[in-house]
Amino acid sequence: MEAALRAIAEPRRRQILRLVRDVEMSAGEIASHFEVTRSAVSQHLRVLKDAGLLAERRHGTRRIYRIRPEGLAELREFIDGLWEIKLATLKRVAEAEEKRRRGR
Amino acid sequence: MVAEGTDVLAHEVRIEARPEIVFAFLTDPDKMTQWKGDSAQLDARPGGVYRVQIGQAVVVGEFVELDPPRRVVFTWGWEGNDAVPPGSTTVEVTLTPDGEATILRLVHRDLPEEQRAEHEGGWKHFLPRLAIAAARDNRGSGPGAG
Repeated sequence: MEAALRAIAEPRRRQILRLVRDVEMSAGEIASHFEVTRSAVSQHLRVLKDAGLLAERRHGTRRIYRIRPEGLAELREFIDGLWEIKLATLKRVAEAEEKRRRGR
Repeated sequence: MVAEGTDVLAHEVRIEARPEIVFAFLTDPDKMTQWKGDSAQLDARPGGVYRVQIGQAVVVGEFVELDPPRRVVFTWGWEGNDAVPPGSTTVEVTLTPDGEATILRLVHRDLPEEQRAEHEGGWKHFLPRLAIAAARDNRGSGPGAG
């Protein structure tokens, strides 16, 4: 999770995820969408792959990338969890107050 | 979490307290900060503005509807954030009595209709929240972390 959070903190990496959301793309095709060097793009690809957000396969000498939905699902669960955690706290404090009001 | 659609978050929790008690935790600043936010200013009446500081981020919105102790609707957005600006999403909380307890249901409706088709929508909504959560998490793990 930590790696995924760091991975998507970078705007270019988010852009890469959008590029390969519906289609597979080679490293070269992805790089053509950016003005930064090819090696900078490769580095971003590696970060995304290590974070579990991108799947990579080889086709001859080319590396082809596509999004890894399982990785994204994990992030989404994390966000959903924020409300869950908050509501769990609300439950605790409201129940404590109910007990206090009722006395013993 | 209960799935309702791609841009709706829904949560339900059973609280062993009467709706009147739970309701106050949604509208009284001192009570709200016991479960959400570091500081809160709430003008809990229709059209009233609220501000809740959560870590370094500030949630700003407006109370849309209050029906004590059954229902609160408020808008939700992050101050100074173009992706989820104040007013751009809506949270609805309903409290249903269940004996002496309350079933709280929270529905967070997010993106305006015209943004739904836009595939970035989900990220626009989630990323700022994620960033904030991550930042908090990061601070918690000490200086230099991350």
